[in-house]
Amino acid sequence: MAIWARKNDMILHLHRAGNSTYSRQKNHGMSFRVICKWMRMAGVDHIHAGTVVGKLEGDPMMIRGYYDTLLDTHTSVQLEKGIFFEQDWASLNKCMPVASGGIHAGQMHQLLHYLGDDVVLQFGGGTIGHPDGIQAGAVANRTALEVMIQARNEGRDIWNEGPQILADAAKWCSPLKSRLGDVERYYFQLRIHR
Amino acid sequence: MMTNLGNRVTQGQFSFLPNLTDAQITAQIKYALGKGWALGIEYTDDPHPRNTYWEMFGNPMFDMKDPAGILLEVNNCRKTFPNHYIRVTAFSAVRGVESVTIVLHCQSSKNEPGFGLVRQETDGRTMRYTIHSYAPTRLKASAILSKLAHLN
Repeated sequence: MAIWARKNDMILHLHRAGNSTYSRQKNHGMSFRVICKWMRMAGVDHIHAGTVVGKLEGDPMMIRGYYDTLLDTHTSVQLEKGIFFEQDWASLNKCMPVASGGIHAGQMHQLLHYLGDDVVLQFGGGTIGHPDGIQAGAVANRTALEVMIQARNEGRDIWNEGPQILADAAKWCSPLKSRLGDVERYYFQLRIHR
Repeated sequence: MMTNLGNRVTQGQFSFLPNLTDAQITAQIKYALGKGWALGIEYTDDPHPRNTYWEMFGNPMFDMKDPAGILLEVNNCRKTFPNHYIRVTAFSAVRGVESVTIVLHCQSSKNEPGFGLVRQETDGRTMRYTIHSYAPTRLKASAILSKLAHLN
């Protein structure tokens, strides 16, 4: 499939079906990292590799291990990320990780902090579930991303100032404003139910 | 219901934000220089989304280390082409990346005449559709007209 895709000018996108089998079920001993390495070698272009703050299972270090397996040109032993072996990838084509599953504009600072630049961010529910409609959802997501990248490039501390950066942008971007208000209400309701 | 920042071309990296000030552009340039990326300035009169090859304004500034100097070049370009689209690009030459990492649009044309639909008949009566931008022909036409007016 990878050879066909390359010949026919198409991207091979590996979806997240089955991700929990590798990340939540712990008894078979197969880690998602193996799938990442295998798929990178097979010539896949995109693979859903976890979101940290979204629906998919995984703590920041583990997910960073997956992303490094997909993107590094040379990986060193990093036990905290679950990488046990040094690996020189020898110009093997990189595989772009995709973060998809329960992420939204209000988490943009966390997403950028954990996942970095080389990632495809996919907001399904995060776009369609916008109170003002799908176009507003898309505008809110893109605005949040752009404002966060701009702030990070300027040298601001997005981890701590993130919510403030988003709130400042929400002043002139009404889709982002409704999105942030919505998120607050949702988490507030969640706390009450628990 | 929705705020739309003036119906402008949304191709650049920060195109959903209000126009960046010179200070903000300098901050982005500084970030790119810190990462060792090469900066270039490009312009065009054709805002078609598939028009990726814009004209370069001078060479990419491989040896310029001062953000203010690069901003000077950007403003030079703005003065030379006041009604063209201008963007600043940063290129990362890191092995395995070797691609453009920042695309910052810093000027848009004041009149954006938009796009027209082009229909092409292929085999049988099959239609293929694409869009073409009105801007290049209209800009050239208005430039010719203004030159003729000056002659009079």
